[in-house]
Formats: sequence, structure tokens, C-alpha cells
Amino acid sequence: MAHAVISCLHANLAATEAVLCDIDQLGIDTITCLGDLVGYGPQPNEVVELIRARQIPSCQGCWDEDIIEGLNSCECSYPSQLAERRGQRAHHWTAAQLSEENKAFLASLPLSLRRDRLLFVHGSPNSQHEYLLPDMNAFAALERVEAAQADTLFCGHTHRPYVRELREGVIKMRLRRAVANPGPDIEREVDLPVRRIVNAGSVGEPRHGGTSATYVIHHEQDDSVEIREVPYDVERTCQAIVAAGLPPLFAWRLRHGFEYAERADDASHVCER
Amino acid sequence: MAMWALLSGLRGDLTVYAAVQAELRRQRVDTLFVLGDLIGPEREANALLERLQQPRRGDLQPHCIYGWWEEQLLAERGFRGERRADALRQSGGEAAVAALLQAVDPGHMAWLASLQFGFVELDCALLHGSSTDVGDSLTADTAPLQLLDRLTRMEANRLFTARSGEQFCVELCGGGIESRLRDLEGERQQHQSVPSRKVIGVGSGLHYTLYDPGSDHIAFRRAGGPIHATGRGFV
Amino acid sequence: MNRILLISGPPGCGKTSWILSQLQAHKGPCGYLRLAGFPAEGCPQALDGGIDQAVLADHCPGLRDLADPAQALAHPGGDLLALIELPQFQPPADADSSGIDPRLLPQLEALQLLPQRHLSFGRDAELPPQDTLQFNALENWALDLTRSVWDPPSLNSFWFELVNGAYGEVYRAKALMNLPDGRSFFFNWIVSQEGTQFLPLERVAPPEGRPQRLSRLVVQGKHLDAAGIEATIADCLLSDAVLELQQAPQRPSGAPLLATR
Repeated sequence: MAHAVISCLHANLAATEAVLCDIDQLGIDTITCLGDLVGYGPQPNEVVELIRARQIPSCQGCWDEDIIEGLNSCECSYPSQLAERRGQRAHHWTAAQLSEENKAFLASLPLSLRRDRLLFVHGSPNSQHEYLLPDMNAFAALERVEAAQADTLFCGHTHRPYVRELREGVIKMRLRRAVANPGPDIEREVDLPVRRIVNAGSVGEPRHGGTSATYVIHHEQDDSVEIREVPYDVERTCQAIVAAGLPPLFAWRLRHGFEYAERADDASHVCER
Repeated sequence: MAMWALLSGLRGDLTVYAAVQAELRRQRVDTLFVLGDLIGPEREANALLERLQQPRRGDLQPHCIYGWWEEQLLAERGFRGERRADALRQSGGEAAVAALLQAVDPGHMAWLASLQFGFVELDCALLHGSSTDVGDSLTADTAPLQLLDRLTRMEANRLFTARSGEQFCVELCGGGIESRLRDLEGERQQHQSVPSRKVIGVGSGLHYTLYDPGSDHIAFRRAGGPIHATGRGFV
Repeated sequence: MNRILLISGPPGCGKTSWILSQLQAHKGPCGYLRLAGFPAEGCPQALDGGIDQAVLADHCPGLRDLADPAQALAHPGGDLLALIELPQFQPPADADSSGIDPRLLPQLEALQLLPQRHLSFGRDAELPPQDTLQFNALENWALDLTRSVWDPPSLNSFWFELVNGAYGEVYRAKALMNLPDGRSFFFNWIVSQEGTQFLPLERVAPPEGRPQRLSRLVVQGKHLDAAGIEATIADCLLSDAVLELQQAPQRPSGAPLLATR
């Protein structure tokens, strides 16, 4: 059986429709969404309603949380004052647009979903705000999966799709306890398990250099993961951005394959809140 | 040559603090770090808090951070936004929360609220728990992957922690991991080695730790115990 | 003998860079004058607003400002190198034997700066070859940024957007901009060249409030979205409070300023 994982839709209806159509054409009927249904994009209600209508299980992203909790993402997650101000403008616009029913739906989303040894989260098992970037320290990456008691961790948030396999890990250690109860120093070699992180990329706000939407398919038969790129009608979303009164710069950035606002680059940064 | 003393878990016990101070006076320690849990629900902590803020003549000036008990008190007294002492309430019930409130005069709250989460000295991180949380209890039996993660988060070579109350030293001294990454640009493989790093549990109460940052020598002590017990810290 | 040269060429052809190299190579005293030029048909003149003068003065200590008659006239013989820059879209049709536009003569005579030669980019082989750009019907837009200080990562994003066409077709952008650490950066970008030239000025302002020195952005292009540029810039500039937060640790005492100037 194959299983599709989508993330970071960001209120981009044209991209969401194109990705769901691609999944349908492949005959896949199990879909999981990793959150950030809204934020920056021009069709928050339409996208939330589409996910609800299709009954796609979803976890809550940082934008979904912020929209219901009030601006909660910490300041330090914005890489610049400009990005922060634009993010706040998008936040206020989205909060004003979303229907109460759709807000209630976002509020009801869980932080993680689990299917056996597969774990689905938005950012990391620690936080919706933590970025698991493809080049983050391999031991720290492994620790995130291991602490969550998963074999494969599906995440989003970075908007760049990747599959990272961590294997052949070994840590050598020497242990010494207090003087009162010294004993000999203990030397040990600990074998680390094989684990995998799969980032589903972004449907509505790509950051891979192009404008296509991205998502992943997990083929359970051979446990392989396929990264999919789906072209969609970018201009339709750009026109909707301008028509909605969102900053025209968002349309320009989307049209050129740049994110609406640059992402914080600190992989290990964890929002303290 | 510099020498640090690190202690924690005084939990309001001025007698223990005085005993440690008296012992440090007879050694060549020049910097004293108190890694939190200055207070606790067992006894009134005001006399100890006064002495920490206004050291007696001859006392080594203490550099304090807040610990798990201070965090509970600060939360309960409204210094942590909407959070309250939920962790304590869950583990010890209302009685424990009330006892903690009883133990500290409100006049000390401003000073307690001014304490930092930790210090970074040279390449050493000095914390109560770990970089993830003040309540993160690291022990000699904590998985080495977790220890390495906590060190990596602080970008430190030495992590001194106090939450577990144990005295231990885990040295990560070798190993590595293979990482295979596939994205839209292709596939690449990367090997990462385990950096040489240590996590040190400093102990609690009478049990404290001496550290010489010059030689990386670690010695575990118990106040009142033999001072010259084998300084068999491994270097 | 004093050497006085008039250098002309269209905006972005490399006049100032060539002048800087000549001034730095000259051992004796140097002087510089930037003329405003004449509005040609459909070609409003570049509103440099003193950016070139400020960059050259920073890189050539002792450079005389020849717009000041006192400095212009204080060269009784000797080896002064005086370079006069003239933004001009085409070499003049109606020129005298030295190739100088007669409309310039009264001003130059008053300063006793009659050029021995007029070198024009695109015409004279002594000058580096220029990339020919059609500067017809270009819009000019300028913004005074004196006392403004940028959030550095925001400046990065803004400049990226500006030169990549987020605010209309930009052919040329040039600016002097203040950073909170006291540095001032010269940004210079032209569509025909690869990448932006970033040049920090030698002189650094003390971390004491807003610097008074020249700061300005000049843009030439088509269909420029001036309101869009200004709106983004407003999101990039630091408030007094944030500037103070960033500057206080740079002061020796770390003490807050009594009053932000």
C-alpha cells in the first residue's frame, strides 16, 4: 500500500488542489497532512474546508497554532525585522478571514499522529517551531526520532523535501561515578539504531528553487519514499494574493519560487514557549 | 591556576552550605557556582538566601542560577506568565506547593527572578538540568545519544548538570554515524564522528564537585569527608 | 602642471570607479567635482545626491571638494589632478575644440577649472569599454535616508528584492546605507553587471544614536513602484528603541545614552 504525506499548504488552494489531484491519479487513498494549512496565502478558508471535506488526518502546524492562540511564535524565529513585520501582517489578515468553524477545526488538531512506528509531526517531536534541516547534526537528528520512539519520522516546516537515513551509529563512552562508590571506570560501546527522517516539503510555499508543489509518497511494501514535484497554476494564487489585499511582494516571491518570508536558519533553535 | 567548585540541591539548608564554604576556604578554589535548588519545601530557606546574596566575610562569592524548585516557586508566584507550579502540584500535591510558598519570604522573589538559566564559561555549560529543560534529569545511565544531543544543543564541550543529584562523569570518546540524504538535487552520504565531550553530574547537598578548567581534572567531594581522597579524576 | 580632466558618460558606465582608480594612483593632491549635467530629452539626470563624492572622499583622504571655490582655487600650479564627472547620455554634438559642452564653461571658468581634455565613455579609447545600456525614458527615483539605520538581514532581503525586479524593472541602484554597528555601506548595482558591489566606508560612526552623515538610495528603471519600495524600507529601518538596544553593548561603558540624538 502507498501512503501520501503533504505539509505546509499555506492557504494556497491551486497548489493543494493540484497535489490532491496528483495523489488521486496515482490511486492513493491514504493521506496524512503535517499542518500549516494556513498562513501567508490567500485562501485559508477554502484550503481548510478542502482538507476537512476530504477527511485528511492532519497535525497542527505552527501557523495553525498561532492563528488560534494569538501570535505565539517567538520573535527569534523570524530571520529579520522585515520578515517579522510581513509575517505579522499575514497573521492578522488570516485571523480576520478564517471562520470560527475553521478556527475550531485548527484548534482541534493534534500535535502528532502515530501509526505503529511511523510518527507524523509538523516541526519536530519537541516543538512545532523546531526546524529539522537536512544538514543538522546527525546525532541530534537521530535523537529526535529515537526520543519519539519511531522508526521513521515524517516532518515538514522547512519547506524542503528530503529523505535522510541515519545508520551505523556508534558511541564510545567512559563512565565514572562518585569517589564514595568509585569502582573501575566503565567503558562501553553503544550501537545506535537505524532511523529515518522524511521531510514532506511544502505544497503551498516551496523552497527548493522552483515553483512546483512538493510532497512525498511512502510505499509500505518496500518501505521506500518517493519525493513528488507537482506543477500548478502559480499565477492563479498570485492573482488571489493581490486581490485579497495581501502584500503584493508575497505574489512576487511565490512567482519566483522564494518563500513569502525567509526562514530562520538555526537548525537547533527551539522556541522556548 | 583557577579551580571551580560546583554544588546544588542545598534546598534551604544553611548548615550544609556553611560546611561546604568552610571546606572550600581550605582549598585553592577561586570560583563557586551554585547550580540551582537553593530552596525546597522541607525547611525555611530565608537564612540561606540571605547568606547567598550577602556573603559572610571569608565566604567565596557564590554565582547562582535557578533550579527546578526555584522554577516552581517563580511560576506559582506569577513570574512565568500564565504557568503555575504544575509539575510540583502533580508530583507532590497542594501540600508541597504550600510548603514551598511557606519556605521563602516574598522579599527574596526579586532576587530569585533575576537568576539566570545557566552560565557558559569557557567551553563549559553550567546548568541545573539541561539545555532542553531545567527539569531534565541526566544521570550516569542516561542514553549517550541523549547526552550528546544535550551537549550539541549548547555547543559546549563540557556540560555540568545537577538535576539528578548524582555525581558522575560520562566521557564520550569515540564513534560515529553515517547519514544518507536524498533530496531534489540528488543523493549524498556523510560521516560524522562523535566529538570528545563530557557530561558531569555535580551532586547535591554535601556532595559537590571540583573542576580545574586548565587541566580538565574533575574531583568529586563530600563536605566533611576526606579532602585529599584520591583526586582520581580522569583527564 | 595641474591636470584637469572632464569625464562624461551615461549612468552606470563606470565613471566613478575609473575616477577612484585614477585618484588612488596619483601621488600628488587630488580634487573632484561632480556636475549635475543637463536634462536630455526623455532622460532625467541621475540624482546622485552626493553618494559618489562621499565614497571617493572616504577612500581618498585629503580629496579636495572642487565644488567649494576655496578648495578649487587653492592650487597655484603644481601637480593637482582634478577630475570632473559629468553624467551625460550622449557625447555633446555642439562642443568646442576640446570637446567640452559650452554650457559648462561659465561654471568651470568661475572655479578656474578649464579641462584640458574631455573624455567620454563609449567614445574615447583611454576609458574602459562600457556596457551599452539604453537609458532612454528611464525613471529616476531617490530617497534621502539620512539618520536612518537598517536592520542588516532586512537590508539584505530588500536589496535582493529590489535588484531582482520586485519593485519594477531596475537598471541601476546605488546607495549609501547605515548599519547599527556604525558602518556605512556603499551598494552599487547595475543590470549589465553580475552581482552588487558592496563597499564599506573606512569611517565608522560611533555607536551613539543616529549618524548624521549622508545616506541615500538612488534607483533608475522603468515602472518603478516607489510606494512599494518605501513601504518595504519602512519595515527594514530600526526604531530608536531597537537601535539603542543594539548600540548599548558596543559602548565602552555599556551605559544607556541619556538622550538619543
